[in-house]
Amino acid sequence: MSTLKPFLIRTLQLLLVLWAVVTILFLMFRLMPGNPLAAYIDPTFTAEQQEALIRQFGLDKPLWQQYFTYLGNLLQGELGDSFRYRTPVAERILLLLPNTLILTFSSLIVAYTFGILAGAWLAWKRNSRFEAAALPAVLATRAMPEFWLGMVLLAIFSFSLGWFPAGGTRSAGTSYDSLWQLYTSANFLSHLFLPMMTLAIYSQGLPLLLMRSNMLDVMKEDFVTMAKIKGLSPSAVVIRHGARNALLPVMTSFAIAVGYQLQGNVVVESVFSWPGLGRELVNAVAASDYPLAQGAFLMIAIVVITMNLIADLLYTFLDPRISHA
Amino acid sequence: MPDTTIKASSGVARIFEAIKLPVGDPFALAGLLIYALFIVTALAAPLIAPYDPTEILYTADYDLASDLLPGQEGHILGTTSLGRDIFSQIVWGARSALLVGFTAAFMVAFIGSVVGLLAGYFGGHVDAVLMRLADVAFGIPFLPFVIVISAFSEPSIWNTVIAMALVLWRDTGRVIRSQVLSLRSRGYVEAARVVGSSDLKIILRHITPNILPLSFLYGSIAIGWAILTEASISFLGFGDPDAISWGFMLQDAFASQALARQAYHWFIPPGLAIILVVSAGFFISRGYENLLFPKLGR
Amino acid sequence: MAETLLSIRDLSIAYEVGSKDVVAVSGASFDVPQGTIVGLVGESGCGKTTMARALTRVIADNARIDGGAMQFDGQDLAALSERDMNALRWRDISFIPQSAMNSLDPVYRVEYQIIEVLRDRGGMRKAQARARAVELFEMVGIDPGRLRDFPHQFSGGMRQRAAIALALALNPKLVVADEPVTALDVIIQRQILDQLRGLQRELGLSVIMVTHDISVVAYICDRTVVMYAGKVVENCDTATLLNEPLHPYSMGLKNAFPDLQSAGTGVLTPIAGSPPDLIDPPKGCRFAARCPFATDLCRNTEPALTEAAPDHHVACHRASEAAVLRETAKDPATWGAVT
Repeated sequence: MSTLKPFLIRTLQLLLVLWAVVTILFLMFRLMPGNPLAAYIDPTFTAEQQEALIRQFGLDKPLWQQYFTYLGNLLQGELGDSFRYRTPVAERILLLLPNTLILTFSSLIVAYTFGILAGAWLAWKRNSRFEAAALPAVLATRAMPEFWLGMVLLAIFSFSLGWFPAGGTRSAGTSYDSLWQLYTSANFLSHLFLPMMTLAIYSQGLPLLLMRSNMLDVMKEDFVTMAKIKGLSPSAVVIRHGARNALLPVMTSFAIAVGYQLQGNVVVESVFSWPGLGRELVNAVAASDYPLAQGAFLMIAIVVITMNLIADLLYTFLDPRISHA
Repeated sequence: MPDTTIKASSGVARIFEAIKLPVGDPFALAGLLIYALFIVTALAAPLIAPYDPTEILYTADYDLASDLLPGQEGHILGTTSLGRDIFSQIVWGARSALLVGFTAAFMVAFIGSVVGLLAGYFGGHVDAVLMRLADVAFGIPFLPFVIVISAFSEPSIWNTVIAMALVLWRDTGRVIRSQVLSLRSRGYVEAARVVGSSDLKIILRHITPNILPLSFLYGSIAIGWAILTEASISFLGFGDPDAISWGFMLQDAFASQALARQAYHWFIPPGLAIILVVSAGFFISRGYENLLFPKLGR
Repeated sequence: MAETLLSIRDLSIAYEVGSKDVVAVSGASFDVPQGTIVGLVGESGCGKTTMARALTRVIADNARIDGGAMQFDGQDLAALSERDMNALRWRDISFIPQSAMNSLDPVYRVEYQIIEVLRDRGGMRKAQARARAVELFEMVGIDPGRLRDFPHQFSGGMRQRAAIALALALNPKLVVADEPVTALDVIIQRQILDQLRGLQRELGLSVIMVTHDISVVAYICDRTVVMYAGKVVENCDTATLLNEPLHPYSMGLKNAFPDLQSAGTGVLTPIAGSPPDLIDPPKGCRFAARCPFATDLCRNTEPALTEAAPDHHVACHRASEAAVLRETAKDPATWGAVT
């Protein structure tokens, strides 16, 4: 019961932030110079046809009226039609969302698994020569442009060695009966591997450094000393009591990393021609497909905001000092 | 008497004293040296670079000097498909990176510090409004936002930098705010208020000097972010077409099939340059953290 | 006298600080007879906690046992292999920490932490361990319904009781209690000490009670070992220590603490000054600088620990004059003007 109220407050805050972002999005796309329909209007259109289009998109109305129409449409899940595809934006986004989520989650799971283990291990090896070499290396992976890492992996493992395909989600000419069959096929997984590794290599630094510094703190705690005095095995001391406590903030950071990764996806999806939300956003922006760009942006924003909330809740949920207060 | 020497020292020395450059830490020192090299390269680019980075070059036989390998025809790192000298582009790219990194860092540190100061010092409604603004900034997907602004406004480095600063101030703002909150309750600030010092005077004289190192810490982190982000924007083709940046070089290489042709000499150096400069920023900020929060320092 | 369970001889423990060694315990010797509570008393930094931890052989990374022996039940703890020592931990020697809050793992329920030890170290099966946990909670006077709580849901007193329950889980021979009641208020302190005393009698336990508070010693300990600056300065049964102390430091300590049974009466006289720096200890008696009775002999020659009276060890050059010194020591003025 007591956890319900903060939950409601946080949810309300989330909705407010979402509304603010939606408003910024509206202004961003309306106040930009140039005719938003420029890309949509064929030079062969007559003046009447053009005006009809402007009316169709409601662009002849005052800004505040457009704003409320826009809000009303959003509430009904109506994102308009893509200029380029002439199909509903919502449909297109829902089609691409799974690709992006698969890429994001698979890379983060790899990154966190590795980062947590390596971080705990580095804490164990503190003040060693190995640590002195490993830490700058980890920082350097955080300093890499993700797309450049993608380019290097692509050049080596796809173009030079030919181990993995260069882009897309499946080989040309293949088809699958269901999405599930596609996603579990070796074909799809081999396409997934390089972009997934690119994002994973980039992302492992955060959980690694976090885990390491938490471990160093936790291993100094009295309850760890007590576990040793109890004669528990070293693995019980380090894993059950050390790592279990150090893991708490790392798990929270996972949710934030999902939101963050979604933004990083934008460039990596472009490098690997991965048909996800990020690449779609870039293409839509480049083609001045405003409704589609707006929709993709909104979808990414929703995930980012939701993940920020989940990070908060996860922390409450995982820490008994808060969840059982 | 160290006290008198500090008092007698010039304004510049006092600034160094205030921002506490972390020269004691070996990592931070390495970072500072990389920065020094980077700044010198950027400033002296015309002297160091053998060619104009956008000049289309020809060989002695009047053929287009395209896709030369390192060392051929005296090009240290070879040439691009358009016949431009890669090494010269790297050197000139330092200039864009310097410009983007430092202006963005300055703006982030400035906006964040002002917001944090106002929110922390005045509290109440000012605080509530500014912190909700920070929440909103945390809700904006950073890279997509910068992409949209860069793409829809005049293509220039400044628009990209402004777009970054509009979002990135959020972390600095929150941290500075909590620092100000703790400073405000200290004795000397209370005392200054009791004797009737104006808010502006208290902020400038008693609070600002104490948050300056923190502003610098977040500024030094923002340098790296800004350079990485600019590289992404340029790579995606939304950058300033007139400025040669490392991101632009990578886009050029990618679009010219350098990967398929295994022209590693083309796309590896710009990436290494970015890593070097950005990790130097990380090293410096770590040095700062050790200095400011000894407990965290490891 | 009862059989000796633990016999510490000439034990030294050093910390490496920078390039120097700080000898926190130097040449300490005392015995713990079977079935008694032995107090280990002294100011903070006198080496008592270091000594207590040495008995578990879980000591700081920069600390090492620098010689001496700890004969426990026929084995020398100082010489055991890590493997043999680990087999002994908790099953034979358990520990009650000073701050039970920080020594219980915050993310596990208290029940889990008791069962963990019963299963991992006691070889019990889960159901058996559950039943034992209930029994232990009843023993220390906590409602077994609270077993499913997390540590932070317990009050300070309950946590300390839980720590006692945990220490008794495997029926150890020796319980080392490191300031087990320091963080608690006086009423709770007394309840917990009563409980501990009751359990000790009931189970025939041997206990080492580390404390800075001589009133705790007076309340619960059978015998008392007084430590000063890493040295044992006096060792006898508690009644003798309270009524006929031979070492001026013991006389001073007694003046400095209120009586646990009659809280708040009488004037407290602290011992002026502070213990010497152990990086560079003085050459004579370590207490000489603060001792109102110190002579040139005290300042130049270190007194050895000798049996001045039957079963009463003391390290003081003027032990033979103790009866006279005791009278002088009762006057607060004696302790006021020491430089």
